[in-house]
Amino acid sequence: MSLLRVENLHRHLGEGDTRCHALRGVGFTIEGGRTYAIAGHSGSGKSTLLYLIGLLDIPDEGRIWVGDRETSRLTDDERTAVRNEHMGFVFQFHFLLKEFTALENVMLPMRKLGRLSEEAMRAKASDLLTAVGLGDKTRRLGTQLSGGEQQRVAIARALANDPSLILADEPTGNLDHTNADRVFALLSDIAHQRGQALLMVSHNPDLANRCDHVFRMQDGVILA
Amino acid sequence: MPPSLLIALRFLGARKRAMLMSLTGIVFGVAFFVITQAQTAGFEAYFIKTILGVNGMVRIEDRIQSTRAITATEGSSFSIAVEGSVKYIPGIQHPKVVIDALNGFAEVTAASPVIRGNATLIANFREYDTKPYGIELDTFLNVSDLDTQIIDGSIKAFGESPYALIVGARIAKRMNLQVGDSVLLDGPGEPQRYRVAAIFETGIDQVDRERVYLHLSAIRTLLNKPTGASFIQINLLDPSLAPALAPRIEQAVSHSTMAWQEREKTWLQVFSVLRISSALTISTIIFISGLGMFNTLVMIVVDKTREIAILRSMGYTRADISRIFMLQGGIVVVVGVVLGCAAAALGTYTLSHIPIRIRGIFASDHFVVLWDPWHYVAAAVIATIVVLIASYFPSRRAARLEPGAVIRGSSS
Repeated sequence: MSLLRVENLHRHLGEGDTRCHALRGVGFTIEGGRTYAIAGHSGSGKSTLLYLIGLLDIPDEGRIWVGDRETSRLTDDERTAVRNEHMGFVFQFHFLLKEFTALENVMLPMRKLGRLSEEAMRAKASDLLTAVGLGDKTRRLGTQLSGGEQQRVAIARALANDPSLILADEPTGNLDHTNADRVFALLSDIAHQRGQALLMVSHNPDLANRCDHVFRMQDGVILA
Repeated sequence: MPPSLLIALRFLGARKRAMLMSLTGIVFGVAFFVITQAQTAGFEAYFIKTILGVNGMVRIEDRIQSTRAITATEGSSFSIAVEGSVKYIPGIQHPKVVIDALNGFAEVTAASPVIRGNATLIANFREYDTKPYGIELDTFLNVSDLDTQIIDGSIKAFGESPYALIVGARIAKRMNLQVGDSVLLDGPGEPQRYRVAAIFETGIDQVDRERVYLHLSAIRTLLNKPTGASFIQINLLDPSLAPALAPRIEQAVSHSTMAWQEREKTWLQVFSVLRISSALTISTIIFISGLGMFNTLVMIVVDKTREIAILRSMGYTRADISRIFMLQGGIVVVVGVVLGCAAAALGTYTLSHIPIRIRGIFASDHFVVLWDPWHYVAAAVIATIVVLIASYFPSRRAARLEPGAVIRGSSS
């Protein structure tokens, strides 16, 4: 069974004269343990598609299955619960909560899920930060970390609840070349090692081509 | 710790100065609310204690003459009651009968007959118009606080001599009287000479400058009133029973009967208005703090839009987000109320020790306060309602944010 299935997604954005048809019947499936890139020019509908898949937005038409669960009829709280349990997000801007340390930021999704004890959450968050190379900086606030380090904390946070799907929107877009390479390699390795799927939106054709599969988008449709 | 509470605690620091201002406002609002209520309620309670100690809880005075009825014809059973024709005959002709009738009221703990009149006090070559009150000492002490009002001399000395009298402090000062002095009282009956056994002070100016207490037997001669009484002063188990009991007594004994609440209505209304007015005035501090809290939380919501979006993306529901901001208000109000109540207790204690000489409607040499837990409850409830309303709208705004739109906007 596929990890994610998308069928005939349509989405309009804007109102009145500015209304445009951003997605025009997009459909594909995603398997675990593989990396996928959504590539295309600005305005091609990449991010719109990613947010629909991440259940952060609702399609005008079409359906999304997460595992065997169809999500179009779910309530906001149910969709939020699916995100909490099955999805991890990495955005272009790391969006760390600056009042929290790196460790505490990683623990936030676990606290919401509520399946682990405080000690277990700390241990797991510490392991994740070690896995992304920040084992010695767990107690630092977000403001005390470099951009690359903050993005790695965001990756650790995305992995906190062992999601089956990692959704990344331009995760390297705000990083220099070296850090971009490191972050992509990290995401790719984690996806392959843990059997998780990585779906990444990227402007960068080099990074997109390093994924197992590339969805090329243009004017709201997938070309190949 | 629930994650919403943890996040709320950390977010509180986002606008420290503004939040601290709101908190300070709530602390001061709660403290001032309690202090002003303690003070106004304290003065009111002290006033009530004073007037009850002087004039009693209920007074039975003039006899009510039966309502006249016009009979249609001689011997006819048809008659028409004439409204508004009630007549009051001054005084109580048979006080003992009335007092005996009061035994049927379980709420009545004591009753004492009093004869009141006018007489001129002559001493030290001066004359002074007074209102002598003839009392039965034993029973009158059960319906008044006369024994505690004595500032010089003694009740015992008054009780031991039939020709002793107790004078008000203002009279004693005006006439330069001291305990042991001899005075002449000239009334409608025979002028008589008395010895000052004690001086009393109630703090009520009118009482202290015109009232003198004599024995009942002595005043009968002075005023030429061999029988009856001017009124009967009654004490009850509980002062609050008076308004309900007075009409029942009036009906039972056919004498006009007035509860202290009716008698002192004017002053009680003044105190009530003062208390409400001060509560409203001080509440504005809390309202303004609530407004500050609203502004601060709105600013935090704006500041934290991206953080809210990321929390939503990682699985926090709209209710969680709303709770984070409501909890911020909750934390501020809890801290504000606790500190405010502590400051109020300290302020009230300090105020009660500030020396101030008050005479006129009661006698006190310091601020009078009433320690009432309901003042603290009222302040806490007002602060809680104001802050929760102030927190509700920003929290709703935060909960309504669409994470996709926010993140897309931030990324573009």
